[in-house]
Amino acid sequence: MTVDTTKNAVPFEMAQIPGPEMAKAYNTAVIGAIMKKAKRPLLVVGAELFEDPVMFDKVIAIGKTGVPIAATAHSIKGFIERGYTDNVTMIGLHPLTNYLRFKDWQGLDGQGQYDVVIFMGIFYKFASAMFSALKNFNRDIKRVSIDRYYHVNADMTFGNLAFDQDKYHEAVDEVTAKLTA
Amino acid sequence: MDKMEGSFAVEDMQNVQINIGAIVKEVEEWDQPMGPFPYPTIATLRDWDFKIMNRYKVFYSPICDRCTLCTYGPCDLTGDKRGACGIDQAAQQGRIVLIACLMGATAHCAHGRHLYHWCLDKFGDLPVNMGDEILVDAPITRTIAGIKPKTLKDFGPVLSYFEEQVSQLLASTHTGQEGSYLDFESKALHAGMLDHLGMEVSDIIQTVAYDMPRGDEDAPIVECGMGTLDKSKAILITYGHNLAASSEAMFYTEDNNLWDKVDIGGVCCTAHDNVRIGEGLGYPKEISEKYKMVGTKAKIAGAIGWWRKMVRGDVMDCVMVDEQCVWTDVLNECSKLKIPVIASSEKIMLGLPDRTNDPVDGIVDDLVNFRMPGVAVLDPTKAGEIGVRTAIAVKPKRAEIREADPFLSEEDFKKYAESCTYCHSCQFVCPPHIKIGDVVQAAAKGNFEPLSSTYEICVGCRRCEQVCPQDIPILSLYAYANKEYIRNQKFKMRAGRGTVKDTEIRRVGAPIVLGTIPGVIAIVGCGNYPNGTKECYDIAKEFVDRGFIVAASGCMAMDMSLYTDDDGKTIWEQYGGAVDGRNICNVGSCVANAHITGATIKIATIFAGRNERANFDDMADYTLSKIGACGVAWGAYSQKAASIATGCNRMGVPVVVQPHSVMYRRAFLGRTDKKEDWEIIDARDGSRVYCEPAPEHMLYVAESVEEAMLMMAKLCIRPSDNSQGRMIKLTHYCDISMKYFGCMPPDWAIYVRHASDLPLKWKDDMLKELESKHGWEIDWKRKAIVSGPIRKMDVSFDPTNIERKIRTKK
Repeated sequence: MTVDTTKNAVPFEMAQIPGPEMAKAYNTAVIGAIMKKAKRPLLVVGAELFEDPVMFDKVIAIGKTGVPIAATAHSIKGFIERGYTDNVTMIGLHPLTNYLRFKDWQGLDGQGQYDVVIFMGIFYKFASAMFSALKNFNRDIKRVSIDRYYHVNADMTFGNLAFDQDKYHEAVDEVTAKLTA
Repeated sequence: MDKMEGSFAVEDMQNVQINIGAIVKEVEEWDQPMGPFPYPTIATLRDWDFKIMNRYKVFYSPICDRCTLCTYGPCDLTGDKRGACGIDQAAQQGRIVLIACLMGATAHCAHGRHLYHWCLDKFGDLPVNMGDEILVDAPITRTIAGIKPKTLKDFGPVLSYFEEQVSQLLASTHTGQEGSYLDFESKALHAGMLDHLGMEVSDIIQTVAYDMPRGDEDAPIVECGMGTLDKSKAILITYGHNLAASSEAMFYTEDNNLWDKVDIGGVCCTAHDNVRIGEGLGYPKEISEKYKMVGTKAKIAGAIGWWRKMVRGDVMDCVMVDEQCVWTDVLNECSKLKIPVIASSEKIMLGLPDRTNDPVDGIVDDLVNFRMPGVAVLDPTKAGEIGVRTAIAVKPKRAEIREADPFLSEEDFKKYAESCTYCHSCQFVCPPHIKIGDVVQAAAKGNFEPLSSTYEICVGCRRCEQVCPQDIPILSLYAYANKEYIRNQKFKMRAGRGTVKDTEIRRVGAPIVLGTIPGVIAIVGCGNYPNGTKECYDIAKEFVDRGFIVAASGCMAMDMSLYTDDDGKTIWEQYGGAVDGRNICNVGSCVANAHITGATIKIATIFAGRNERANFDDMADYTLSKIGACGVAWGAYSQKAASIATGCNRMGVPVVVQPHSVMYRRAFLGRTDKKEDWEIIDARDGSRVYCEPAPEHMLYVAESVEEAMLMMAKLCIRPSDNSQGRMIKLTHYCDISMKYFGCMPPDWAIYVRHASDLPLKWKDDMLKELESKHGWEIDWKRKAIVSGPIRKMDVSFDPTNIERKIRTKK
């Protein structure tokens, strides 16, 4: 049975209402398909992974499907501890988003700009603002959240799953399964 | 009398003031020639701003996609859309940033303007005497206004200049005025610079008038924390930023020998300024003769983040508010607990009756008998007396309330905790994301540990209470569970030392510019921490231990005082208070932040011999290229923090802020993939050199404290570092990375110019990596770098970004 990730589509910080254009919540199959279809996806993960350490393993599982990982804040430490750094790059979320908004940036690997960025495990307000920067200043990149929050400034997001850890884990697993299918 | 010619007689004229031209006086008393930019207007330093923004790209993260400022609106500006007036999203964000910076700058300057009038009224015109060890007494005023203030009255024209500039800047935000985001940002940088000017004027006025420490590394150790307030006495809390009324309360207490009956505790920056009074060099006499060291009798109740916790924690009998950072529901919160409120500033009158002209006895009687919840009294002397007398007289009348209400009964606590339905509404609105539902559920089962361990993380915003469908008074649950902590929150901190001495600059100027002192870290900010107050202490400790010069101010200086080492010593007791490596100095209140940017000017002028007079861009250029300073505002919440940071940026000082600071909407971020952005001029011959990105960013939001510390170490790197200095800076940068990230930072190699720049600890491994990963040519016999770096080490390299600094043009 799949997790319904379209429920509770209200901003996690409730006053975070940016304007007419707000994210739509999608189910895991659609989000998985978008990630799989991406030519240049980038998974961006942050320090909140430390609060639910099993998430590192789930991120690594996604990394193993070939999606490169940007490890923001000090989250690289979690990957080093697990012995997985193959396609993981340490970079701050702020400079990373700054690079993402420029069409001429060549990416973390020098192979060109990304077409889909996926955020998870990042402090809500910060992630929301960085989605907003891309929403307003580089609309060529599709903004996807697979975090446990409804992310209002994303294109595609889960609804809020912050209070049901098991369901959230399950939802991320479903996305990963879609990537490997 | 605009113009008078010929001779005239004055003998029959009375009350005539003849002004001698200020410029003539200045030339006579200051031999430094006037620089190019006295009293710069909006466009004067625009070239400098554009240089900054060419290297550090303006980055916006809009919080609101719409503009709702005129009647055509709301206009949706998302993406490429423009509003009815033609404004685009970037310009609208720049506009909001400018307005925020103006709010911040005017808060400080209006504070200075009030003190200017008040101090002239109270003390008369006083000499600006900063003592024998400070000749460069007002570096920012000198740099911007081109004047050397001799007496308090000399600040009058400076404040008028500020006010005119603010008026022009604010006008540009009207619909149909400025339309370019770059120009909005140039204006914001102007506002930020003005803010530092306003702060300096404010702090010098109060330092001179109230005989505060003038760069005293041994400023007294004072008491800090809610538990220091003696409940056997009446407790008057003075809350805000302007000491005028609060100091009068202290003087009244001293004059009437009432310290055994009343404790005066400050909240926010008034606390800093209370404990600095009378601790200076002994002048003016009015203070030194009657109130010497009176500051040590007042207490620091706490930083802004503790305010509502103090109210719920039952630590006060009467509150006197002045200005800035006063939570606007102060009257609601206090009236519930019958704590009388006295508003002493025109800026915050809270709808209260203005009783300034009424007799004191009647006002005290009304407050003590709860006939009104508060009064506005705009005469500081009268307000001070009313505060003390009310606190003393109301204390017995509040006894019943003190015992019954603020701390819940065990029964009520249990009832509230058990009423939680675990709906998580609270967690949806909690700024630091405390899992409040879990915390309350644990409390219902008798487990208070979560309420204790998250007490310092709670920012006291009360948003949780407002959304709770069960009306659970969550802050009161916190207060109940932390009763013992509140009673025992007793710590020591060093009173604000004020400015930096010239003698200190002579000692540290060369090590800072060469890099052998790895950097100057300014820790400033308020109470909106992403993960509690402990991180203030952790940041300070990390950098003091590493030999950085650490300067702190405002609420972060108070919050870092709440932790001790194994010997029970706070950071202020562990280290000296000098401006030197392995020291930590508290400069003082919010307006004292100006002394930190002022110190960079002092390095340029005292150590490097540059003329600061009306020469802002030269001072900023020197700072940007040669002074490894970095600010951190980890708990920043206010528009003042936005303008302070922006002013630092115009001065060439990068700033790191906490993740909530994305609310400021704008950052300045460098691109290391754009070599051309980092071209710098060698002032020796005008040649242009591609330089390492140092500092890489100007305004940077860090996601975690670990990232902040790493970035701060990196942002202290400067092109002027000599090899030993660069090696020391890279050692700290790499070491912090290894400590908190478990690996080397990925970009360490771009800061290497010569093998002697490499940290000794990792030198061989680094050389190997430079060869294998980066393709550099290494001479292994000499362990030397043959080719690879962005530029070679050159000991006499003289980096600048300003063409007029070129000594011989090519």
